[in-house]
Formats: sequence, C-alpha cells, structure tokens
Amino acid sequence: MTLPGGPVAGVYFDGRSSRDHPATVTLTEQGVTLNVPELGSPRMWPLAEVTVDPAVPGVRRVVKFRDGGRYETADDAAISAWERQVGLNRALTGVRWLESRWAAALGALVLAVAAVAAFVVFGLPVLARQAAAVTPRSVLATFDRETLKVLNTGEYVGPTKLSAARQAQLQAEFRDVAAWAGGGYPYTLLLRDGEPAGTDSGGIGANAFALPGGTVVMTDQIVALASNDRELMGVLAHETGHVTHRHGLAGVYQGLGLTLVSTVITGDLVSATTFAAAVPAALLRGGYSRADETQADEVAGRFMLERYHTTRPLQDILARLEKELGDGKDSRASVFDLLRSHPGTPQRIEHLRAIERAALP
Amino acid sequence: MTDLPAPLDPADDQTGAPYGRHAGQPLLPAVTDSPAPTPMTVTEYPVSFTGRADEYFRIWIVNVALTIVTLGIYLPWARVRTRQYFYGHAWVDGQNFEYRANPVALLRGYVIVGGLFLGYSLATQFQKYWIAVPLLLIYVGLYPWLVRQSLRFQAANTVHRGLRFGFMGSLRDSYVAYGAANILGSIGGIFALPWAWFMQRRYQLNHLEYGTARGKFRGDVAPFYVIALTAVGVGVGLGIVLLIPLAAVLFGSMNWNPDTFGDGDPTTLIVLFAVAYVAFILLYTVLWQYARAAIMAYVLNHGELGGVIRTRATFRPWTLVWIGVTNTLATVFTLGLATPWAAIRRTKYVLEGIQVRAIAPLDDFAAGASQQPSALGEAATELLDIQVGF
Repeated sequence: MTLPGGPVAGVYFDGRSSRDHPATVTLTEQGVTLNVPELGSPRMWPLAEVTVDPAVPGVRRVVKFRDGGRYETADDAAISAWERQVGLNRALTGVRWLESRWAAALGALVLAVAAVAAFVVFGLPVLARQAAAVTPRSVLATFDRETLKVLNTGEYVGPTKLSAARQAQLQAEFRDVAAWAGGGYPYTLLLRDGEPAGTDSGGIGANAFALPGGTVVMTDQIVALASNDRELMGVLAHETGHVTHRHGLAGVYQGLGLTLVSTVITGDLVSATTFAAAVPAALLRGGYSRADETQADEVAGRFMLERYHTTRPLQDILARLEKELGDGKDSRASVFDLLRSHPGTPQRIEHLRAIERAALP
Repeated sequence: MTDLPAPLDPADDQTGAPYGRHAGQPLLPAVTDSPAPTPMTVTEYPVSFTGRADEYFRIWIVNVALTIVTLGIYLPWARVRTRQYFYGHAWVDGQNFEYRANPVALLRGYVIVGGLFLGYSLATQFQKYWIAVPLLLIYVGLYPWLVRQSLRFQAANTVHRGLRFGFMGSLRDSYVAYGAANILGSIGGIFALPWAWFMQRRYQLNHLEYGTARGKFRGDVAPFYVIALTAVGVGVGLGIVLLIPLAAVLFGSMNWNPDTFGDGDPTTLIVLFAVAYVAFILLYTVLWQYARAAIMAYVLNHGELGGVIRTRATFRPWTLVWIGVTNTLATVFTLGLATPWAAIRRTKYVLEGIQVRAIAPLDDFAAGASQQPSALGEAATELLDIQVGF
C-alpha cells in the first residue's frame, strides 16, 4: 500500500474512452496530483475541481476531476485519511462509520424497531385523531351517505317492524340524548330490523352503531332486548360518544397510516410480506377500537349519571347482550378472541361501575 | 488490461481472461455492422458479484434507522447507497460498475410524486372523485413518459470504465411499447400480453447506449408466448394440486349437513381461507417470478452491444424461482431481517450466471453524448412500484 503522503496506486479513465490507464495520485491539503504515465506529465488538480465519492463498503474509491476524468483505487485507507484531513464528505463518512460496526448495526436495529413501535402505538392514534378533528363536515356527511347506500340494499337490515307510536317515542327520547351530546352534528336515529328475512347474511341482530356524520342505527332486536328505555338511551349516548370523538373517521385514518407504514417497511404494495405485516396491523386496529369503546362508555356514563344518577341500566343491557351473543354461538375460547375489536363486556361493566362510584360523594 | 495493484477480493480475478492488453487481437472499431463469423477470437468475461450479506446487512439497517429518524428525508440517500453497493460489487473484466444518481434530485421527485399519491389516496378515501379521477387519468396518460424518464435516468447514472450508459428511446416509441401495448395486453390477456412484453424489452434494448455503441435485441416474439404458456400451464397444474386437499378439508368440516354451512365451525373456515389465500399468493409469486426470470434469460441471450459484445445467461429460471420463493419465506419468518441476505443471494445468483462475450477489447469504447435527465420518472417508478427493468 502507501505511506501517508506518498503516491497511491490506482487506475485512470479519461471519461472519453473505456480504456484504463495505470495511475497514481498524491494527496495533499491543496489538492490532488494525478500522474498517468501513459498520458504524459503529472497534473495538479486543486481541491475545488475534485469530487470524491463517499465510501461504500468494499467498493473502490473514486476521485472525479472536473474534465470528466476519474481515478479509482482499492486503497480506501489512504483516501479516507486524506478525506478526514481536508474535511470532505463529513456526513456520509459518519454513515460509513456506523455501517462498519456490528454494535452500531444492533443499535440501529433497536432504534428502528422502537421508533416504528412508538409511532404505531402512540403517534398514529394522535395523528389520526387530529386529522379526524380537522376534517370538514361535508366529508363526514359523504361517509354517512355511502354507508347508508350499502345498508339500504336490504342485505343487513330491513324496514323496522316497530309501531309508529313506539318509533315516535324513541325518536323523541333520542332528541333529548342528541341535544345533550351537542357538537352541532345533524343527529338522526334510524330504526331498522336487524334480522331481515330472506337474506344469506342473517342480518346484524341486536345491534346499534354510529356513522361519522351523526347517523345512529338501532335495530328492533336491541329494542326488544331492553327492559326499559333508560337502557336504550344509555346505548344511544354511547353511540353519540363515538360521533363527538370522531372515532369512525380516526379509524379510517389509522387504517391508512398502518398501510403506509407496512408499505414503507416491506417496500412494496402487494405481496406475501405485506400480507404478513397485515396481521399485526389488524391486532393493533383492535387495540385502537378498544380505547374508543372505553371513551364512548365514559360519555355514556356521564349522560346516565346526569339523567338517572346511575349507570346501572347500561350495565344491565351490556350483560344481557353478552348473554344473547353467548347463547347462539360457540363460546369456546380461540386465538381469534385476540382479533375482537371490543373490550370484554365484564371489563366494560366494571368500568361503568367505577364511573358511578367516582361520582358518588 | 491494467489491473489494480491490490485486488479487493479474489473474486475480482476470477475472470480467467488473458491479462495484458488483449495480446494478439486487432483493435476493432467500436461499431461494426455484423459480428464477423469464425476467424474472430471470442473472449468470454464472466460477471462476478462480491457483495456480502453481513456487510450489506449493516448498510441496510443503518439506512432503515436513518430513514426513520429523519422522517423519510434520508430515503433517497439510502436508495443511492444501496445501489452504489450493488453496482460497485458487480465486476466485468476486472472493472466494477458505478451508480451515480444525485440523491437531492431524487428527493425532489419523491416529494412531488409522494404528495400526488397521498392526495389521490385521500381523495378516493373520501370519495372526492373530481380530484381522484383526473389524477388517475394524468397518471395513466403520463405513464409511458414516466417509464422513458426512468429508463433514461437509470441508464445515464450507470457507469462502467468511466463511460456512461445512455437511453435514447423516443417518446413516440414509449407510447407504443408502454401505452398501446399495455392497453392491448390488458384487453387481450394471454393473447396480447407476451407481445407487449416483447415490445417493451425491444424498446429497452434497442435504445440502450454505452458510449457511442448501440444496443440491439436480436430476439423474436414467439418465445415470449412459449414462456407465458408455460407459466399458465404450470399455474393450472399446481392450482388443481392445491385445490383438491383444500376442498376435501372444506367438505369434511361441513359435517355432511349443508344447512349449518354458514354458522358451522368458524375457526376451521377462517384457517381454510387463510391457507387458500397464502397458497394463492405463493402460486402467483411462483408464476410471476418464472415469467420474469425466463424473459430475463431470453433477453440476455439475445442482447448485443455495438455489434461486438453479446451477453449470455446461464442461470436457470426455475432455480431463480426457488430462490425467490425461499427468499420470500425467509423474509416473512424473520420479520424482514433476512431482506439484505435475500437481496445479496438473488443478485449473486443472477449476476454470476451472466457472461459477456466480446470480439473486441472492452476498453475500446468511446464516450457518447452526455445527457442529464430529471429524476421525476425514476422517483415515480420507485414509489409507485412500476417494474421497468428486467
């Protein structure tokens, strides 16, 4: 190899032909002296007319001259020492330093995993909520419209079988809940039959859900399940909680964000690796909606305490819903429990009790 | 030829080519019309690849971490560094390749394309079709232009022996090869798609330049049909083999009572669908990789440069498929950590299965006109996952 300051052996290309010429360079603080014996006397290039490509592990170092010529050498040590001396490529020399150490690689790995995890667990929900909060009302209305189009196909719900008087009564009570919830949303209550005859899907059964724009759908089956209207108002207050906190929209943003993250990590849009990344994403989405349910329960709890001084009715109907679901279906525990989006009913009931206890003097 | 005093790796010297300035060979002009027949000496230069998985793993993980820490701003530098590593470790006749794209130009392209793509995703999410549809139409309309920009950018930033490659395909030809051919391919399916592949490879090779030397594709359209038919045939065969056990399990789980189908055992059903889904993805991957590998081999076996250089591929397409499938599985099961190993493994197999055969010395090419295309097309193909190379 070379002594510091001595000539460094390599090869020269003039940039006009593919012919290689043996060459040496002498590196000083002022610049580079290039000596190509086959092409005549040495030439001195000042620093300003020379660029040095940042080092890439195991690849020959390249010094480029302003006239298009280039000098290549395997003597990385000599070029690196000179680079440090004259202060070229500082940033990428740092990167090269990181790349050459296993400890740095391990640190980078830990950092990358921690950063991604922190972003997905803490950053993304915050971002999604912010984005949902600033989304214009017209967009919310579009969501409701499109979802209702799907609902009105008759596959999941049918027209309600409740009497006109009962419907009017529920609508009047809902107006009270809506007025309490506030936020300026155009709240609408849609009463529907959750088990329409003659469909393959079997309907949605005893259920209530809110769309982002303030439309709340409640089925005849849940009305029948309730032993009094306080229970139903608890359920409806819970749904207005989803509306005022914009959970539906935040969920859409979270889904988009997770897709983006897994695309960035795996580097492609559709493949087996993206599919593998989708499983943890689905688990996370379940976690997000658990937090949403808890928040909506808190809204409902506040409403119940203000109106009835107890959260008991909501606890009762939750317990009955759980029993109803448990009756029909296989209740064996399975790995798919992990994928359930709702918190366990016992935890929710306990949470409502805690809200009530905290409110009592 | 002149070699360096200290080769980086013994592999550099694996060429076995006669060293010294191609003794005894007349120096031919760089461009001759037809490769002269027998009396010419043919020198074969194997391509070697000296990249190492452990070395590249560290580059990769540092790239990932820096990209995350800088919130994506480092991404172009990471991409350029990765390419520099792969190009720099590819050797022909004792000289390596160089990738010389400017990361700042790429960053500008990434920001523009990324912004438009985000706008499009949000617009479709919120059903704002008056934004989404025009964006999509602009993309479809500009697609051939983007591909041409990308090919120009990739070629102009590839250097070997101090000379740049270049791509001089016209915009009109790009609209034929990537516009009309793709439309016909999507309508005609198996009847037109191989023709579209042929048109695209011919466009890529016939306008490639190395210095003043022009590339040429000597291939024909028929072998592309053979490749497509092979892929479809294997797909149908494997599909049947996979479907039979799946169907058997499905009927077994129904307890011979069709009435309970909907609410039978949901766990079995879900597992079954997951298995079918993974099987479908694997099958799709296998077929697609086979088609790509076979096309790549065919194109390399029929590529010519300046009338004095031909390429030859000795890698086997089905081995490449095997490498592709095992690479995917390794990547999935290591949660992505095997990505660098997989990339090195595949590149090594492909590159070391390529030979360059020349009847003129490789150091006898002259520089062509230099061009400096914008990075927008490259950024678009990279971000939108368009496959333009081979």
